[in-house]
Amino acid sequence: MLAYVIRRLWQMIPTLAGVMLLIFFLFNWVGGDPALVLSGKITNKEQIENIRKQLGVDQPYYKQLGYFAFEVANGFTCTYRSYVDADGARAKLRAEGKPAPCQAVRSWATNEEVPKILVTRIGPTLTIMLPVLVLETILGVILAIGVAYVRGTLTDRMIMMVCTVAMSISFLVYIIVAQYYFGFKWGMFPVQGWTGNFWKDLTTYAPLPIMLAIFVGLAPALRLYRSFFLDEINHDYVRTARAKGVAEKVVMLKHVLRNAMIPILTNVGIALPGIFVGSFLLETFFSIPGLGREILVAVNRSDFPVIKAATVYLAMITMIINLLVDVMYKVVDPRVTFK
Amino acid sequence: MAVTVFLRAMAALLCTLLLAAQAAGANERKTVRLAFRAAETGFDPQQIYDRYSVGICENIFESPLTYDWLARPVRLVPLLLERVPEPEEGGARYTLRFKRGIHYADDPAFNGKRRELTARDFEYAIRRFRDPVNRSPYEWLFENKIIGLDEHTDKSKKAGRFDYDTPIEGLKLLDAYTLQIRLKSPDYNFLYFLAMPNVVPVAREVIEKYRDDTQAHPVGTGPYVLKEWVRRSKIVLEKNPGYRGHTLSTEFADAKDPWDQGAIKALAGKTLPLIDRVEIYPIEQEQPRYLAFVNGEHDYLEETPFEFIDQVLQDGKLMPAFARRGVSAFREEQMEFTYDVFNMDDKVVGGYTPEKIAFRRALILAHDRAQEIDIVRKKQAIPAQSPLPPGVVGYDPNFRSGAFLDHHPARAKALLDMIGYIDRDGDGFRDLPDGRPIRLEYKYLALEQEKRQQAELWVKNLAEVGLRVDTVAVQFADHLKDRRVGKFQIASSAWIADYPDAQNFLQLFYGPNTDQSNETRFRLKDYDALYEKSLTLPDSPERNRLYREMNRLILTHAPTRLGVHRTFNHLIYPWVKGYKKHPILFTSFKYLDVDTAAQRAGKP
Repeated sequence: MLAYVIRRLWQMIPTLAGVMLLIFFLFNWVGGDPALVLSGKITNKEQIENIRKQLGVDQPYYKQLGYFAFEVANGFTCTYRSYVDADGARAKLRAEGKPAPCQAVRSWATNEEVPKILVTRIGPTLTIMLPVLVLETILGVILAIGVAYVRGTLTDRMIMMVCTVAMSISFLVYIIVAQYYFGFKWGMFPVQGWTGNFWKDLTTYAPLPIMLAIFVGLAPALRLYRSFFLDEINHDYVRTARAKGVAEKVVMLKHVLRNAMIPILTNVGIALPGIFVGSFLLETFFSIPGLGREILVAVNRSDFPVIKAATVYLAMITMIINLLVDVMYKVVDPRVTFK
Repeated sequence: MAVTVFLRAMAALLCTLLLAAQAAGANERKTVRLAFRAAETGFDPQQIYDRYSVGICENIFESPLTYDWLARPVRLVPLLLERVPEPEEGGARYTLRFKRGIHYADDPAFNGKRRELTARDFEYAIRRFRDPVNRSPYEWLFENKIIGLDEHTDKSKKAGRFDYDTPIEGLKLLDAYTLQIRLKSPDYNFLYFLAMPNVVPVAREVIEKYRDDTQAHPVGTGPYVLKEWVRRSKIVLEKNPGYRGHTLSTEFADAKDPWDQGAIKALAGKTLPLIDRVEIYPIEQEQPRYLAFVNGEHDYLEETPFEFIDQVLQDGKLMPAFARRGVSAFREEQMEFTYDVFNMDDKVVGGYTPEKIAFRRALILAHDRAQEIDIVRKKQAIPAQSPLPPGVVGYDPNFRSGAFLDHHPARAKALLDMIGYIDRDGDGFRDLPDGRPIRLEYKYLALEQEKRQQAELWVKNLAEVGLRVDTVAVQFADHLKDRRVGKFQIASSAWIADYPDAQNFLQLFYGPNTDQSNETRFRLKDYDALYEKSLTLPDSPERNRLYREMNRLILTHAPTRLGVHRTFNHLIYPWVKGYKKHPILFTSFKYLDVDTAAQRAGKP
């Protein structure tokens, strides 16, 4: 297993390189000119050139790509320029016997350190998305196993119909309607807000967005998990268990549930990285200072350092989670072997 | 006897409690909460340009001049200066005499000492606008403007480090409190620059101490200090304890204006500011911003979203649900205008030949601006007669665009027929005289309902005269880039006043500003000559005549379809006292009061 894990870790390097190349070329060929965004209302070519120079986007692509790789290798805590120490400040500090830290990569729009942006925004995002994932999975599994149990009945059909209708409506509509009625009209939740106090946020500001995300995510999860359970229910071992006189409850909860957990786990694994970037719709509508909102603002401002860092961070999280899910298979199903 | 003593003791206790409660009420901190429509970027005054960040700086820093709060039309008054400088040497020299005894808010950068403001701080700030490291969006204010500054900047650029110490000929410190500025050529609008909320002195030691993140460490002489900042989520300002205080000037108040009278009643004679704490929440989405106000979470709502205007106002009056709660609506015609730019370099819509001018004028006549105002702008706009919004110096209320802009499809069709833009292949759409089909493209800002509706209106209106237009929604950064480099045919745009003079709007059509703010890429010798001449004149009938001539040239050559001047409605709860919105200054915290008891009672 250790060899498998090490091999998978090695494989992450070319994958990450691919992600970096993709984001780099997408930004340079499709994205707007950050210098124009930053230059203000009245500007001239010389000023725009100066801004490009300041940002480093005047450099040849291969150099910019090299700087990007350097920043990724340093976790965005050190820019290439500060590392090469053009103004001798680091050398001076070292000569004085003081630590000579690199300068972290900063947002082009706000000058905030990019690692700090990621660290400070991840909390609110997880406050919303972690409960969403956990509750959605638990509710999805419970409801799906129940629906699978009554498969083919009117209840099953009605629930599936409701799920299809629910899936056909845009998330934005749910947000707008729920915010209006639950937040404003009926006053059950605050319309928007965030304090930075974890418990206050979790109990006051997070419930409505969490409820909405669960409501929207539950319908597809329920349909999917139901199909997993139905696949298992139709297998021979279930028929055999029933023939042996095993109670239906035990058949469903012990045999079917355990075997259906493998595709469910895969599905949760696919959804897991998403919780680290959050929902930009929820975050912008409910004024949650999370990562999704931050990325949206960064895209609108052509703030490439933030976009780069968020993309690389998400790619790494996705790869690590995929690896963990693969290892989890072994725990859930001892028949799984690593090759 | 015992009963009497007991009653007396109780009465004394009651009195004490009442007095204590009264004292507590008097000491109660006054807080206002509100939302911004977009996120801020930071608070280094020389590094920012978005109005939300500038709005915060307006309260932390002070500019040499400002505007009288109540005077309309706007009027310059001294803030850090002893008086408004008189233009010397025909508008080419200004002597700025700073008041003595003005101190910065306390900061560790001052090592525990009170730091007095000096003229050197302002000279330092001007240099900062030109330091390439700051990437100042307002560098243009001091570019090709002050004698010696451009040369100094070039020299610094070559040296790789900006020189903040070598004297500059046009920036002469006469003493610690006097700065003489000499301009390369006369500029009577220079005084307006001195009233911009980001043209403010800063303390060098603060900038140097927080060199890596000056955006997060604003230290000024203004009435507020930055107490808390959760970027793009929450901004908290608190009263600057060392602030000297200011008062409301009532000299230019309008006796008939209820807002002026309300402000006078609430604020006159008091030492301002009265609000202890201001909490600002950037909320980009319109629904939560609106609902947060209606829910009582915020004390006032500026720029009520257009999509909710029908729920708030009917025929200009507040709906009963709001009127019952004592909400008032302040209607503001902003100093701005919206317009659609034609790319004058484009082969189809551009050009200066009679044929091309006629084509653009036909497009303008085909566009139904009344529908734009009624449907797209929800009647919250007035048609622009020229690029100049009401209120700017040089605005002529009698100037009418009339036949140039009024919706007239029959005239549009006649013009198109006259220049030979007719349907030649029978597909129902007009073609160029050489037979090539006409397929126009309109670029607009994505994700904005107003802009999308405007694009749909173009499609509908042009179809009525037999023209096809494809609409392309573009992200902000791309839209900006396309407009600047001329990668468009027709595009939506808007301009908000930096200072209240017609020049700030008319420069949008000045030839040398192509690739900069002149998005139409309009280059007309006559217009440029008039513009250059207007720069040398003070506000006068002669300059107004030049402005009128320039407006006529814009109408006759049609490099743009003039849109509207939008009207914004600001909603205020009754416990907010003295509210009035200034057309140039962005925030009102300095001139507000709050009835805290009513505020508590009014909140859900």
